[in-house]
Amino acid sequence: MAETDSAPADRSQIAFARWDRRMRESLRPLVTKKLIGEHKRDPVGIHSDALDRVLNYFRRPNLLDQFVIVCTRPFKQWRVARMTGVPGQAPVFVDERSYNSEAKAAHAVFLMRVDQLMRD
Amino acid sequence: MANKHIHGYSDQISVKPGERIRFMVSLEGATRYRADIVRLINGDANPAGPGPKEEVIATPVSGQYPGRFQPTYSGSHIAIDDAGALLNVGHSISVHAFIMPTTPARRAQGIVTRWDPERRAGWALVIDEHGRLAIWLGDGAGHLVQIAAPEPLSAGLWYSAGASYDGASGRAILHLAPVHNAVNSIVGRIAVLPPALMHAATAEQVNFHSESVAVIAGWAAGKAASGALIVGGHYNGKIDRPRVYGHALGAGQFDELAAGREPDSRGLVARWDFADGIGLDGIATDRVTDASGNDLHGRCVNAPARAMTGHNWTSREEHFIHAPAEYGAIHFHDDDLEDAGWEMDFELVVPDTMCSDVYAARVSAGNAVDYIPFIVRAPSSGPTAKIAFLVPTASYLAYSNEHLSFGQGTQAIVGHTTVLGPEDIYLYEHPEFGLSTYDHHSDGSGVCYVSRLRPIPNMRPHHRFGGTLWGLAADLHLVDWLNARGFRYDVITDEDLHREGAALLRGYNVVLSGTHPEYYSSAMLDGLENYLITGGRLMYLGGNGFYWITSYHPGKPYLVEVRKAEGGSGAWEAQPGEYFHSTTGERGGVWRSRARPPQKLVGVGFAAQGFDRSSYFRRMPDSTHSNASFIFEGVGEDELLGNFGLVGDGAAGHELDRYDRALGTPPNTMLLASSEGHSDNYLRVVEEIAFNYPGTGGRQDSGVRGDIVYFTTAGGGAVFSTSSIAWCGSLSHNNYDNNVSRITGNVLERFASDEQPPGT
Repeated sequence: MAETDSAPADRSQIAFARWDRRMRESLRPLVTKKLIGEHKRDPVGIHSDALDRVLNYFRRPNLLDQFVIVCTRPFKQWRVARMTGVPGQAPVFVDERSYNSEAKAAHAVFLMRVDQLMRD
Repeated sequence: MANKHIHGYSDQISVKPGERIRFMVSLEGATRYRADIVRLINGDANPAGPGPKEEVIATPVSGQYPGRFQPTYSGSHIAIDDAGALLNVGHSISVHAFIMPTTPARRAQGIVTRWDPERRAGWALVIDEHGRLAIWLGDGAGHLVQIAAPEPLSAGLWYSAGASYDGASGRAILHLAPVHNAVNSIVGRIAVLPPALMHAATAEQVNFHSESVAVIAGWAAGKAASGALIVGGHYNGKIDRPRVYGHALGAGQFDELAAGREPDSRGLVARWDFADGIGLDGIATDRVTDASGNDLHGRCVNAPARAMTGHNWTSREEHFIHAPAEYGAIHFHDDDLEDAGWEMDFELVVPDTMCSDVYAARVSAGNAVDYIPFIVRAPSSGPTAKIAFLVPTASYLAYSNEHLSFGQGTQAIVGHTTVLGPEDIYLYEHPEFGLSTYDHHSDGSGVCYVSRLRPIPNMRPHHRFGGTLWGLAADLHLVDWLNARGFRYDVITDEDLHREGAALLRGYNVVLSGTHPEYYSSAMLDGLENYLITGGRLMYLGGNGFYWITSYHPGKPYLVEVRKAEGGSGAWEAQPGEYFHSTTGERGGVWRSRARPPQKLVGVGFAAQGFDRSSYFRRMPDSTHSNASFIFEGVGEDELLGNFGLVGDGAAGHELDRYDRALGTPPNTMLLASSEGHSDNYLRVVEEIAFNYPGTGGRQDSGVRGDIVYFTTAGGGAVFSTSSIAWCGSLSHNNYDNNVSRITGNVLERFASDEQPPGT
């Protein structure tokens, strides 16, 4: 049995990380151009089972970055930000891009999550 | 110059003509601001809707004011009244308490102190900056004794913790022993823990006289401009039975204390009993009793949680009134806030010319604007309209300053990526404004008290909650519609209903709820029920109403308590043994768990929630019954009801209620319409699921729906329920000409008239 001195005090983090890896592996084949197009058409509401499955993973606690949308001008402008993980610290914008609809910002978040899902 | 920010709050939320309301304002980045009283009609700036509407009311408030930053000091503690300086105990001292720290590793925290952190003078039993139990003794002139345990404390574990110091010999003892039983701590008796510690040391002689105020769960860090004590070193966790002796206890005496025995009481200076005062109605007091006979009583500040399980809790009794000796703990949090304590800026004596309605003090400095909402009731002479809008202020308080949108997992609940506004981010960066009953304290425990004596940036006419409308902002859709349709109405609040009961309602032909009247006290439920069985009529125009058991503090109308006991859809769950409200003694949780499900009152109750996209209702067979024809006048039998709107694009959304005979829906209830077409992000509520099973989402579960119902009551009253938070968001569609507006108007016209509703 391996020494576990470097393991986290809460060993469930190990199980969580392994679950996260398995989830990503299982979801990658689902991410197709068609699925991305479906999300682009409508980021919320009733989706195909495949897209729901991917979104369920994206939205629950996971090892991806925690993205949020910040409305910078009411009903006119939205940007994508990332939570820092430090309580009380404001989310940080991920880039300079802004979007003229909440749906476009939501799809930008989706693409960032897809990128992380496919990369790691 | 720094960014401008302006925030305020008022001392009242509901006033009558002739009564006084005071406003407190804090200004950053500017020196002057403007204030006006405005009537709030609509706050929603959605370009698809009618847009924001407000009217400036000419009052003496209008004008420019000098402003300044007003600090807020959060964090609960106990300040000890020690006028005789008895806690300047002389040259020797012992301090002991049972403690369950929850964030020992975070920073230094005071347990029981009479300590000046700047001069490092006095005495203090603390958790030091390394998370270890320690005693500090200092003379303020550089002589400092600090003795610490070798290992840090564990979070969530009950300890017997103490220290003694003999000024004559310099001999000190540090005592630390886990006192966990099978139930009181995060781990049970079989967990391997560090052994009990009785660490003896010899230190230099030091005179630890201090002029500081004695504090439990922190230390005195200064005085505010108002003269109020500022406390630092806030402690997170529970403290039980703290005590102070004016001589040095030996190891044997600490062992006796750890075992729960009372050692020789000679030299005892203070022995605080946090359970003293527990009675049948809870322990709704800030007073903390010193049982030593020296009258060193204390006062809780910022509402720490009382009547909490103590170090000796056995779990045989779950209610503190049955075993008060096992409920000797107070749980302190560094982010508790009862009263921001700001100085008053201006006040308004409500003129007789101000009609009953929803108002706000609008304060602005450049682009920085805040609205401090309040309502004006009808004058004491009686109602001025047939219609009363009952503003759900208890629910506003429950959600006040929520931080849900920042939580991991929230996006799974709401079914979309969270959308934040500038107020949300400001609030997140300023924890001193306190939390909501949807939040956890910084130590992970649930928030059970909320106050309105603080700025509440999310209780504002324009505020969007995670990208949607909620609370006040959503309810203004109803106010806007009432105005657009020319209905005359009075406005009352939950606070008024709690205090006055059915007598408040009896002068009105019909009472309108808000969109989400979720939090109800027993007195409020009794009031509505008594109104309905004496001919009253209710239009419940929301979803998930009458759900959480809620207490108003009997002496503090601004403070609300909610214990989220097992069995409801909530953001947290109270710890075992802590389901009962400290401020009233009643059991917390959902009303359904106390045999009072909402179905018994309004025919429907919480069934499902989802927040991605709202849907529509379809008429059901009862809608064509002659008794219901007045409701659907001008509405086609096959029309989809509310397939449009400003809250998720439909009238059926966010939180939905369902007709359920098994839960008390009255037998004569007519099921007029049901919603359909919900996504799988709409899920059946957890209290309806015993064994879990797949397929409880909107596309597969028949119970995921909202039901519009109508019934008449015993006593000649009537109820119309729309069962959806999103309903009122559809009222303004197509310039207020749509089937949601038509149905609501049909019912309101009939209920407001002196004619009996059909079926009565």
